[in-house]
Amino acid sequence: MQIETETQTTPALAIEGLTYAYPGAASPALDDVSLRLDPGELVVLAGRSACGKSTLLRAACGLVPHFHGGEVEGRVEVAGIDALATGPGELAAAVGYLAQDPETQVVSTTVAAEIELPLEMRGDSPSSRARAVEEVALALAIPHLLSRAVDTLSGGELQRVALAAALVTRPRLVLLDEPTSQLDPVAGDELIWLLRRLNEEWGVTIFLAEHRLERCLAAADRVVAMGSGAIAFDGAPRDFLAWAQQADIALETPAARLFSFLDIAPLPVGVRDARQTLVGKGEGGTLRTACTFSEFTSGRQQPPQHRKKLSEGGAPLPSHDALTCRDLWVELDAGEGLRDVLKGMELVLNRGERVALMGRNGAGKSTLLKSMAGLIEPVRGKIELANGIALLTQNPSDYLVRERVGDELPGEEGMAALRVVGLEHAVEADPRDLSGGERQRLALAIALAGRMEGDALPGVVALDEPTRGMDRARKGELVELIEGLSSRGAAVLVATHDVEFAAAFAERVVLLGEGVVIADGPAAEVLSGGWYFATEVARVLDLPGVVTPEQGAAALSQSADFAFSGAISPKKTNSPEEGGG
Amino acid sequence: MRSPFAYVPRSGPLQAAGPAAAVAYLGSLTAVAFLYSNPVVLLAAGVALTLAGRLAGAWSAVRAALWMGLTLALLIVAVNVVVVSRGETVLVRLGHLPVLSDVITAEAAAAGAVIGLRAAVAMIAFAVYSACVDPDRVLRALRPLAHRSALTATLVSRLVPVAAADSARLRDAARLRGPGAAPVGRAPLSRRLLAGSLDRAVDVAATLELRGYSLDRGRVRQRGGRSRYDGRFYAAGAVVLLAAIAGKLTGADAFAEYPAIEIGAGPATLALAVLLILSGLAPRTRPTRSASSSPSIRTRT
Repeated sequence: MQIETETQTTPALAIEGLTYAYPGAASPALDDVSLRLDPGELVVLAGRSACGKSTLLRAACGLVPHFHGGEVEGRVEVAGIDALATGPGELAAAVGYLAQDPETQVVSTTVAAEIELPLEMRGDSPSSRARAVEEVALALAIPHLLSRAVDTLSGGELQRVALAAALVTRPRLVLLDEPTSQLDPVAGDELIWLLRRLNEEWGVTIFLAEHRLERCLAAADRVVAMGSGAIAFDGAPRDFLAWAQQADIALETPAARLFSFLDIAPLPVGVRDARQTLVGKGEGGTLRTACTFSEFTSGRQQPPQHRKKLSEGGAPLPSHDALTCRDLWVELDAGEGLRDVLKGMELVLNRGERVALMGRNGAGKSTLLKSMAGLIEPVRGKIELANGIALLTQNPSDYLVRERVGDELPGEEGMAALRVVGLEHAVEADPRDLSGGERQRLALAIALAGRMEGDALPGVVALDEPTRGMDRARKGELVELIEGLSSRGAAVLVATHDVEFAAAFAERVVLLGEGVVIADGPAAEVLSGGWYFATEVARVLDLPGVVTPEQGAAALSQSADFAFSGAISPKKTNSPEEGGG
Repeated sequence: MRSPFAYVPRSGPLQAAGPAAAVAYLGSLTAVAFLYSNPVVLLAAGVALTLAGRLAGAWSAVRAALWMGLTLALLIVAVNVVVVSRGETVLVRLGHLPVLSDVITAEAAAAGAVIGLRAAVAMIAFAVYSACVDPDRVLRALRPLAHRSALTATLVSRLVPVAAADSARLRDAARLRGPGAAPVGRAPLSRRLLAGSLDRAVDVAATLELRGYSLDRGRVRQRGGRSRYDGRFYAAGAVVLLAAIAGKLTGADAFAEYPAIEIGAGPATLALAVLLILSGLAPRTRPTRSASSSPSIRTRT
């Protein structure tokens, strides 16, 4: 006998013919979207930047149109409640929403009060509130944070607290808009598996918008891809990868790309899937035996970090120090008394070097960059800069205070800086009308302006978390910009949590932990030697020095005992030397 | 960098007490400062609040308030001595000056010091309140009484630290601009901060909406959240107020600035001062009795 309750049959989210335009917008942000999410599904929402993912999530929680206004047509139902007729307040019991920026998602002073607020608004009794807060805190592993003030939390901690506040009412549907964009690889992976656990154990329907698909595809039941405000694909993760291979290569995961190069089918939805397929293809033994690092590097494909650095004209660049940090100690007070954030840091950067600065949240990456730029005074130690530093902090919009690009960067020095970042055509534009990537380049030009002798850049150009919210195509543009700056002689230092991006641009990786350097070496070595700070390809192949799909394909094609069915198509190969992101 | 006056969750009697109890206690000492002019009593109220802040773990807030309060007190003294010419004890003769006094008297300085001391006491009380009383509990208590005001207060209480963080970031970005970029003056920076604050306010309002703030059920007055320390602070506040009223009736506030300074330091004044200082011990945590001293669990050897 089949017992089926009403909650099991009512879809968690049902959207029919939804078309929506923001107030004053020329074109709709959502165009005839129809979608159904069944209870207990974990669905990933994919798509390029500004394709309508966030708007769709906002429509599902009632903020669109009730909070933003605009014109709307169609039908949206959340757990049987008409979301277009009911406001977000009434939907709060059925749907939880977590936006990109956790800082504006907390409204209370302490963590406990923040998590308790939705229950209080619902009129729950103090005893049931206390139990619910305790349980959700345990589920998210944050009981130790309950008594903390929210303004003393790190970005990752704040994201968990905001998620707890979204989950505490035990909603049937949870909407998440790029929740891992501010998290380090460890916290990002933990969050995805936590969502999977909530989905499996509580039956919560999860609708997750994410750019780093390699992180979440293995946990997904289904993928919905959007393009220009419409649903472009809706199906199983494996089918999505096959679709992306043809329709939008920027949505491919690194492991799927590796398989594409080798013409292996089916495309893998995760590391385990990929390994199983590849082991099946090998002639016995494990993948580890496919080739050794020395075999690999002695072959015709050299990893990029071992290439001789060349200037634009082809002549080798002089290698000398652009920056030296000696015994650097920095002390900061984040609300819980002074603590050492950097503990005797030692670091040397050479001119023209591309370096990724990695480490978990709170390891000291941003503090190091700010100390280099003179925003924070070290308590001990020395920083020597050969030719100054230009630093782009995490929010490029902070640099943009005027209504015209030319007013931000006047004169010949301003134009020279715009030329370096390729924005000389946008002098008359309003910075707010530029795309996210262009705004970032403009902010970089503002930091560089007047620091160049002719077209020669400062000794160090530093970028702090520049890929937050970026799709792969925009990351590719950023890689090109970084390579351009590096070829002009600047040491480019980028603090990032994005291991795939680091593998694409960096020749060296410096890994921080608790204010000290815990690993410093060639990118291919550092990014292939760990569990978390390793690319997807490195985790699939587990070959030393192999971190990108291109390197992986080359390594496997050299392997004598690996029986792959195809060959690397020259058309598909997009080597890192060519700026492949 | 956090403000020294920002609330820090700690485990202490004053932090655990309900907002009404904490306000009753701190408010009674502040009321004494406004009821009395006798410097001995004012100093005692200041010492009591400093002691209370110290025992509650809010020393950095008290220190900042002392610094600001004493600076303000000195400013008030400086202004009072140059604009008031009353008093018999002439310290300096300035000669004829338009608007300003032609003499500086000890009495004018004393009168200014009393006003300054009163302001300093109020500032210390505010600092202890701000650092020890959970704003979320205050807003929760206010919500059933004035829903819209509580909403506004919630938005403001969240947006102030967010705006402070935004402002710090914008200032950092302004310092990081290359010398070839247009310098950022105060006007563009303020405009940008204001525009950013409006965006932030919209985001925070959206979050409040998603948390169900607009639901009527949030307005229901709910019991709970009482602390075992509430009685202590209500009692301390009541004792302070009753003693202050009694002292007022028995001449404990004896003080005259003009024509010559007369500070009453009789038994009533001294008794009130001692009681006020003792009231500063209210936030003290009782030492935990060790298990070995308890006769009921003593073990035989």
